[in-house]
Amino acid sequence: MNHSLNEIEAMSKRAARGAGLSWGLAEEAAKGTRWLAAFSFPGAEMLADLLTLNDRLPALDFSPAVLSGTWAAPAGRMSPLIAGAAMSDCAVRMEAGQVIEMENVSLPLLVVPFAAGAALRLGVPVSVTWEDARLTTDGQRLCVQGEREAILCSHASTLTCAAPAEMSGQSEPVMRADVDPQAWEKLGEFAHRTYAPATEASRILGAGAGLSDND
Amino acid sequence: MTEVSCRDPNLVMRLARLGSFHQSRLSFMRILTRRMAREGWRFEQTAFEIDASGVGHAVYTAHGPERAYSLIAYAHDLPAEKRSDRVIAEAWDATFTLFDGIPSTDDIERLSHNIPVQEAGRVTGSELSVSRANRSVRLWEHVVSSLAAGEQPDAAQIEAVGYLMRTTAVYGSGKLGAADREMIADRPEFRVPFQVEMLSVFLTRAFVRDLVQHMADARAANQGATAARLDPDLARSMGIGNSTGLGMAPFLLNHPVLFSNWVAARETALQRVRSVEVASAEEAELFHSLFARNSEAVAHWHSEHPVQVEKLAALRADIAALSAKLEDEGLPEVQPWNSLYLWASEALSVEGQEWLASLMLEPYGALIDDLEDEMAADNTATFRIAGAMTVARLREVLQEVYGWALQTDWTQPANKARAWYVSEEKLEPRLGERFEEPIEEYEQPLAPGRDATALYQALAHWPEDTPVAEFLLRHPEHRHSVRRAQIANRAPYAEIRDNTISENVLPIDMLRCKLAFFGAMHFDPRSDRWVRICMYGNAPFPEELAERDGDFWVYPDAQEG
Repeated sequence: MNHSLNEIEAMSKRAARGAGLSWGLAEEAAKGTRWLAAFSFPGAEMLADLLTLNDRLPALDFSPAVLSGTWAAPAGRMSPLIAGAAMSDCAVRMEAGQVIEMENVSLPLLVVPFAAGAALRLGVPVSVTWEDARLTTDGQRLCVQGEREAILCSHASTLTCAAPAEMSGQSEPVMRADVDPQAWEKLGEFAHRTYAPATEASRILGAGAGLSDND
Repeated sequence: MTEVSCRDPNLVMRLARLGSFHQSRLSFMRILTRRMAREGWRFEQTAFEIDASGVGHAVYTAHGPERAYSLIAYAHDLPAEKRSDRVIAEAWDATFTLFDGIPSTDDIERLSHNIPVQEAGRVTGSELSVSRANRSVRLWEHVVSSLAAGEQPDAAQIEAVGYLMRTTAVYGSGKLGAADREMIADRPEFRVPFQVEMLSVFLTRAFVRDLVQHMADARAANQGATAARLDPDLARSMGIGNSTGLGMAPFLLNHPVLFSNWVAARETALQRVRSVEVASAEEAELFHSLFARNSEAVAHWHSEHPVQVEKLAALRADIAALSAKLEDEGLPEVQPWNSLYLWASEALSVEGQEWLASLMLEPYGALIDDLEDEMAADNTATFRIAGAMTVARLREVLQEVYGWALQTDWTQPANKARAWYVSEEKLEPRLGERFEEPIEEYEQPLAPGRDATALYQALAHWPEDTPVAEFLLRHPEHRHSVRRAQIANRAPYAEIRDNTISENVLPIDMLRCKLAFFGAMHFDPRSDRWVRICMYGNAPFPEELAERDGDFWVYPDAQEG
């Protein structure tokens, strides 16, 4: 179904929270999903896959153990959301010429929106490279190199982020997105966990009864 | 001469003050009508296919300099028992969409299956908003029956209600599949926030006036008579009502940069006006005349809510005191507005101070109207956390922005008695009792003070020079609060500096603040968490915009004197 980017962001935030991410990470996951969808990538579908993979498991298990050397997660696979957020937090290191390297990253495309944030912060393009894929962004536009299969792969054994990078043949974002109905439904299931069941009492109390609303 | 600075966020961003804000030159409705009048927008009704029972559709098109926008209105015959302003309603008296351009017959047909069911329907990138409205049953029937009997409706009854229909939601920005704001934000007419929604309501008001006449005509014809034409002055005195509930309150918390830009625009305007050395005779005269008209507007402001009743009494006393002062002493000669403001900050209630603050901006369009261009926000650059900030600096920022919260005892149940959550039903935001209802596990992050305090405590044992990135790697649960603190560090009015979950919190303060920026008047709280307002009362109708005042219409008697 065709969705607005706002709908994708709102659904993704609730879904990520429902799958156990902190509010802060859920917000970033949502902005990232929206960003990918704006470039016609299946961001919502990949988020649904990731949330299913790590559903309600402890975030620290999929986080870099330390932010030095090659980043690796204790559980043997790294969340692209947590790794991406940490990379964005460490953006100034890339300004100083350092390459951020990480291993065993799930759904690596989900790291790229965080590179966009880092690029906006640094004011120079940032590239994310894994296996046969390389994506470079200045925050507003995206330059894609590699086959679709490599870009959408479910696991990257190594991934590097570097700045400043060269932009060539970049694409501009589009403003609508088609989301696979099954993935949308899956996100909806995660999101549903964040809603308090309605009771008659909450219907009256929670929304604020008062004078008649119909006169 | 005294150097005047912008007011301190610790003074401005308290709920009691935000909940006393009034419309001003920089309100979104007035920015829109000024633009349309200035640019000579042209309006036409291109369809009015509504039968004698009030069912059908109508189209109103607004032609701007480069583009046209059309309100498509669907009118329904709603049984009385289905009429509710609550967001959980499923049927309405009328439903609307603002279409980007001029709709084809196919568009009107497609939308006729989606707009009348509102949240249960889907729209596309060609639609900019989706909204609905219900009749004021009392006033609607009075106006229809009076006109059908060949008479004008009673002015007192019109004044007591103020509107024939009230909207119960106006959705924009991508809701239900509509166009995202990014698709239209670069158009000059939509650069200022909420212009789509304000245009939709402006056109809705014209439709409602035409519909009530149509229904009166049909009733009269049925009796073999001819209805009276609704007097234009009476028609103009009516606005569009609006019922706003809790859904709007979290908006201010969820859009800190945008909110900061709104408040900063008004605060900067106030700072510029307070810095004016001498008021010209024309400026003083305009102020005195609008003072009188605005006092009149307050005299017509009614509410039964005890909190608002008290605030209104204080405001009326404030206006009397101001009036006496101006009469006795005239405007001060040097920095007249600053002098008046400083006097007011000692002598008047908060409601009166903010009333005056908005009013003193009026003569200074040339000095402050450019600020409307700064009220929008693009979040992308501020959204990313600056991970290189040190723990020591973050602590300082927390002390500056959340000083009030760090001094609050969050172990006291009264200080966290409430919790914000989203209900399963229609995904409606609600406010519940933390200690009485099973809602805490569903709590939304809408208590920034409490959460910032938890962050502050978690930072206590970390070395001062550690980058925040390292802290967040271990504490992803604090990412939300670190981001907010960093935003508030750059956008001074981003954060409400008050407790949003205390047992005393009044969500209507947040609603009123937002609605004041829209340009609403006559706030009438109906409980602690929903409020009725009136929009565009006294405004010119679309076809009158060219010859009537597109700016000062908010104040009654705009054309007299």
